[in-house]
Amino acid sequence: MASFIIRRLIALIPVMCIVLVIVFSLVRLIPGDPAVTLLGPGAAQEQIDALRAQLDLDQPVILQFANYVFGLLQGDLGFSLKSGQPVTNEILMRLPATIELSVLAVIVAIIFGIPIGVLSAVRPNSIFDHITRVVSLIGVSMPAFLLALILQLIFATYLGWLPVSGRMSSFLTAETVTGFAILDGIITGNFAAAWSAVQHLVLPTAVLAAFLAATLGRFVRNTMLDVMGEDFIRTARAKGLRRSDVVLNHGLRNSLLPAITVIGLKFAEMLGGAILTETIFAWPGIGRYMFEAIKNRDYPVIQGTTLVFALIFVLTSIIVDLLYGVLDPRVRKRME
Amino acid sequence: MRELLTFLRRNTLAVVGLVILVALIGLITIGPPVSPYAPTKLDILHKLEAPTFAHWLGTDAFGRDVLTRIMYGGRATLTIGVGVVAIAFVIGVFFGMLAGFAGGWLDSIIMRIVDAILAFPALVLAIALAAAFGPSLQNAMLAVAVTLAPQFARVARSQALSISVKPYVEAAISLGLPTHRILLRYIFVNGLGPLLVQSTLALGSAILQTASLGFLGLGAQPPLAEWGADVSANLQFVRSAAWVALAPGMAILLAVLSFNLIGDSLADWFNPRRRNELE
Repeated sequence: MASFIIRRLIALIPVMCIVLVIVFSLVRLIPGDPAVTLLGPGAAQEQIDALRAQLDLDQPVILQFANYVFGLLQGDLGFSLKSGQPVTNEILMRLPATIELSVLAVIVAIIFGIPIGVLSAVRPNSIFDHITRVVSLIGVSMPAFLLALILQLIFATYLGWLPVSGRMSSFLTAETVTGFAILDGIITGNFAAAWSAVQHLVLPTAVLAAFLAATLGRFVRNTMLDVMGEDFIRTARAKGLRRSDVVLNHGLRNSLLPAITVIGLKFAEMLGGAILTETIFAWPGIGRYMFEAIKNRDYPVIQGTTLVFALIFVLTSIIVDLLYGVLDPRVRKRME
Repeated sequence: MRELLTFLRRNTLAVVGLVILVALIGLITIGPPVSPYAPTKLDILHKLEAPTFAHWLGTDAFGRDVLTRIMYGGRATLTIGVGVVAIAFVIGVFFGMLAGFAGGWLDSIIMRIVDAILAFPALVLAIALAAAFGPSLQNAMLAVAVTLAPQFARVARSQALSISVKPYVEAAISLGLPTHRILLRYIFVNGLGPLLVQSTLALGSAILQTASLGFLGLGAQPPLAEWGADVSANLQFVRSAAWVALAPGMAILLAVLSFNLIGDSLADWFNPRRRNELE
C-alpha cells in the first residue's frame, strides 16, 4: 500500500507542475501590462511601478515563477490587492465554511442518490425508473443559480420557513473555535447558534447536493444494470439467494466501487458550483471570496483560490484511489 | 435514415429532447421578427409588469419585454454553446488524435497537459481564465472551450489508439500516405461517432457554464440579451417580480435538458450492452 501511495504521488508531480504553470500564468494572461490594466488609465507611473513590484512583474519570467513556487512551498499565496492581507490567511479563515457546506452536500447526495439509483435499476423501465431518470436529468441540467432562486423564493420568501442567506442569524453572537458553525455552537453550549447554523445550511446544501445526487442516481442505475447482467448475479440467483441479498450484497456492492470515483470527480465539479451557490446565499466561504476577488480584479486572490480548488480536487482523487484499494481486494492485490 | 428512425422509436426521452430543442430553435428563429418589441428598447412606464396578454412573460426593470429578451437571448446562448463546442472540438480532437497516433513522448506531454487541465474543477478554471482575459463574451467562450477540450482529447486519443492498429490504417501507412491525411481521412472519419455523442453532451455543459459566467458578470455584457446575464441582472427584483429572473433561467434549463436528453440516449445507443436492452 505504501509503495502505491508513493507511486501515485510521484505520478502527480508533472501534473502539479503544469497546474502551477497555469495558475502562475493567470496574471500574465491579462492583456497588455497587467499593472496598467488593473490600476486603470489614470494611474501614476509610481503606482504602476509599485504594483508591478508587488505582483513580482518587474523580474524575468523564470525568476517570477521560481519565486512563486518558492513562496508556495512556504504556504505564501501573496497578498490581496484589496485588503492587503495574506491570501493564505484569508482562505484558511473561509475554508471551514466551504468544507462544512460541501461535506454535508456530499452526505445528503449519497443518502438520496444511491437508493434512487438502486431502485431504478431493480425495476428498469418501470414508472419509477422513468420518473427518476427524467428528474435526475433535470437535476444535472439545472443551473445552480436557478435552483437556488426557486428554493429561496419558496422556502424563504413565500413560506418563511428558512433564512434567505448568510451563515447565521445576525442577532446571535457565536464564539469561533473550529470555524465550523454547527460544531462551534455545540462545543460552546450555544445551541441557539448551532440551530441557526443548521437552518442556514439547509438551502445551500440542497442546491449543491441536487446536482451530485442526480449524477450519482444516474450513475448507480447504469452500473447496477450492467452488474445485474453479470454471471455471478445469475449464479447467486441460481443458488436460491433472496432477491434482497442478490441486489444488496452482490449487485450494489459491486456497483458502489465505480460510484466512489464518480463521487470524487463530481465533488470537484460541485466545488465549482459552490462559487455560484455561495454567491447567491451570501455564504462566507472560498467560493464567494473568489467571486468578490473577480469583481475587484484581485488577482492574487483569484490565483490562490483557483490553486486551492485544484489542490482539493487532486487530494480527493488520491483519496478515491486509496479507498478503492481498501474496499476492493482485487485492486489491493494489484497495488501491492 | 432508417437507423435514425429506429433510434427515435426506441428512445422516448430522445424524442422529448428533440421536441424541446426544435421548439426552442423555432422560438428564437421565428420569434424575433414576429415580436412587436425590441430586445433593448426601454419603456420605463411599463417596468416590472406581471405577465399580461401584451407581455406574455411580463417586463423587466427597464420595461423590456421578457419573452422578446428570451428569444434574442436564445440566439446568443445557443450560438455561444455551439461555438464553444466547436472550438473545444477542434482543439481537443486535434491534440487527442495526434497523441493517440504519434504515441511516445508527444503522447505523454499532451496527456499530462490534459490531466493538468482536468485537475481543476471546470467552472473554477473557466472563471479564472475568463477573469484573466477580461470580462467579455468571446473571452468567456474561449475559457469554457479550454475546459471542455480535454474531454474531446481523451475520446479522440482512445479512438486514435484503437483505429491506428486497424489493417486499413497500416495499409495507408505502408503506402506512404502523409500523416495529416491518415489522421483526417481514416482515423478522424472512423472515430467520429463517439466524438459526436461527446459533442451533444458537451453542448449542455457549454451552455450551462457560459450562462454561469454570464451570471457572474464574466460573459455577455449588457445590454446584449443572454440568458445567464439576464438572470443575474434581474436578481434584485426577484422577490417582487419573480418572472424576470426565473423565465431566462427556465430557458437555460430547457436548452441544457434537451441536449442532455438527446446526448444521453445517443450514448446508450452507441453502447452495445445498453443497446441490447433498448432493442
